[in-house]
Amino acid sequence: MPLPHLRTARTALLVTGAALLTRRALRRRIGASPLWPLPALEEPVSGQPRSRALTLRVARHERVADGVVQLRLEGRPLAALPAWAPGAHLDLVLPSGLVRQYSLCGDPEDTSSYTVATRLIGPDEGGRGGSREVHEELREGAEVEVRGPRNRFPLVDDAASYVFVAGGIGITPILAMVRAVDAAGADWRLLYCGRSRASMPFLEELEKLGGGEGGRVSVVAEDVSGRPDVGAFLTGAGTGAGAGTEAGTAVYVCGPEGLMDAVAGALPEGCSPHLERFAPAASAGGESVFEVELRRSGRTVTVGADTTVLAAVRAELPHVPYSCEQGFCGTCQHRVLEGEIDHRDELLTDGERDDSMLICVSRARGTRLVLDL
Amino acid sequence: MSNTKARLPQPVAAERIPLKARNVSFSWESTPLHWLPGDPFTTHTINVLHLLLPAGERWFVHVYKQVLPHIRDERLREDVVGFIGQEAMHSQAHDEVLPHLREQGLDPTPYTAQVDWLFEKLLGDRTLPPGRPRHWWLMERVAMIAAIEHYTAFLGDWVLNAEELDRRGADPTMLDLLRWHGAEEVEHRAVAFDLFMHVDGSYRRRVRTWATAFTALVFLWQRGARFFMENDPTLANGKASFRDFHRSGRAGTLPTTGDMIRSIPRYLSRAYHPSQEGSTEQAVAYLASSPAATAAEARTHTNGAA
Repeated sequence: MPLPHLRTARTALLVTGAALLTRRALRRRIGASPLWPLPALEEPVSGQPRSRALTLRVARHERVADGVVQLRLEGRPLAALPAWAPGAHLDLVLPSGLVRQYSLCGDPEDTSSYTVATRLIGPDEGGRGGSREVHEELREGAEVEVRGPRNRFPLVDDAASYVFVAGGIGITPILAMVRAVDAAGADWRLLYCGRSRASMPFLEELEKLGGGEGGRVSVVAEDVSGRPDVGAFLTGAGTGAGAGTEAGTAVYVCGPEGLMDAVAGALPEGCSPHLERFAPAASAGGESVFEVELRRSGRTVTVGADTTVLAAVRAELPHVPYSCEQGFCGTCQHRVLEGEIDHRDELLTDGERDDSMLICVSRARGTRLVLDL
Repeated sequence: MSNTKARLPQPVAAERIPLKARNVSFSWESTPLHWLPGDPFTTHTINVLHLLLPAGERWFVHVYKQVLPHIRDERLREDVVGFIGQEAMHSQAHDEVLPHLREQGLDPTPYTAQVDWLFEKLLGDRTLPPGRPRHWWLMERVAMIAAIEHYTAFLGDWVLNAEELDRRGADPTMLDLLRWHGAEEVEHRAVAFDLFMHVDGSYRRRVRTWATAFTALVFLWQRGARFFMENDPTLANGKASFRDFHRSGRAGTLPTTGDMIRSIPRYLSRAYHPSQEGSTEQAVAYLASSPAATAAEARTHTNGAA
């Protein structure tokens, strides 16, 4: 018969042992799973922001043509910058707070820096001060915050041949494309138009790539040759290389609105060009009017030139969520079932843009959108 | 139910302010792993915010979008609309810190994937069947958010006044993130509570959801601090204990234990209203000088002016 205090000691020993074992088991589990016993979400959402801000340093600021400067923006030593592909652009947050998009025109293999080029656009040409800041304030050594890169003008890699049309500073995304297509050994042609040869950046490099006179590159400087004959170029007349533009040819255009319209008009039926506009048409005035069908509610609203999709939808569905009304908070993101979207937000990723929009700022490219609302 | 005035929440009208989301942006390349120099414990205890807030505040937005149709008061609706945008930006801003931690050798994913499960699944929409149980669940979540917002306002007020962080040379970008966020929490501190009182307001629910939220926060926070300390690549044998927490509180680099305990009965008082605590004026003053908030302001203006 054990004495009472021995029995107590045995119980204490057992309890302590059990507690130690439990603690060890718990530690092991928590070590492997920090919020044990909660499971993990199979496809984590947090920690994958849509974009990240980077502070880059202007390592080089050089004039590459009349009124055009090229900036080389470097990240921190040894830290690789996010990768990009031809057609991508960067958002620059200028010292005044203005945010402007500039196409990347450097070498995608170079992960230590980004290169952009901008043309100075004076107030008389509708400039709003962004390019002036780039030219005057982003001097060598200055720091600038960027977001991106993103690509809204991606290069397809399986076209039978490529036709590029660039107007003025619209050459920046095209330059990276031409280099990539040429390096891949694909068939390509370029029409490069500008006011004068002196104002057109990267001419020398492009003409070299194109194989000189009568080669793949047609340069049309307005002060010498007048307006370009886009139709003739697209049908292949007047150029030595390649035949006309047929099905299977990928057509990329970046330049002023008039040039893009000319290309779209001159292309044969069934061939639609890839377009990159200089700036969202937001501030150009004269917004278009379009209809928005709210599929789930079975209603249709008209969005006037001076109003937004959000305002038009709210008149019918007063509880539709929104908040910032400026295209950055993402609350009013809705699924788009049909119609081409004119995205004007700064937030959504390219994947999200395929089938959704922020209804507070974005609009329709055509005359009609269908929302899942 | 009593309707005597003393037992009803007593808002301070002067503390209310129109709310708007700010388009802030932070870049993290120059922020060190231990952004409070020489104090990994405090750094990581505050870093737990980056683990919880991206999923947590996304969840606030998700829940509030569903409550909008239940609001019958236009002024409150405006507040809730402003609140949603601010919370969405908080979630985005903290989310951008996570890849930076990963690049410094401290991968937060094991923890955040579980927090994601908590907010997306356990606290999601399908926890209860449709009909009355689901409405009950919506109200329960609205009340939980009100309880959590009591603590975010508490922390916001604390960080706006935590001068010890400045004295010890905390990284300016991190401090600006915390104070911009803290100031907006103070600005909108009454919204979640007002919304809860408007759509439900039951005292029993307030107490019940406070208990749930408080327990969850303690659980998540201590596990988060432990997770960071144990996985910090620069610490050989990193540990986080309650004693460290108490010590940092006394040093002024974290809230004090006493202040935390005293905030409990205040929330549970029947006359509680969030406007009784913290200062809108101080929050607005900080936002007027915050590098991120002033840059956001400039962005709004320049983009607005065509």
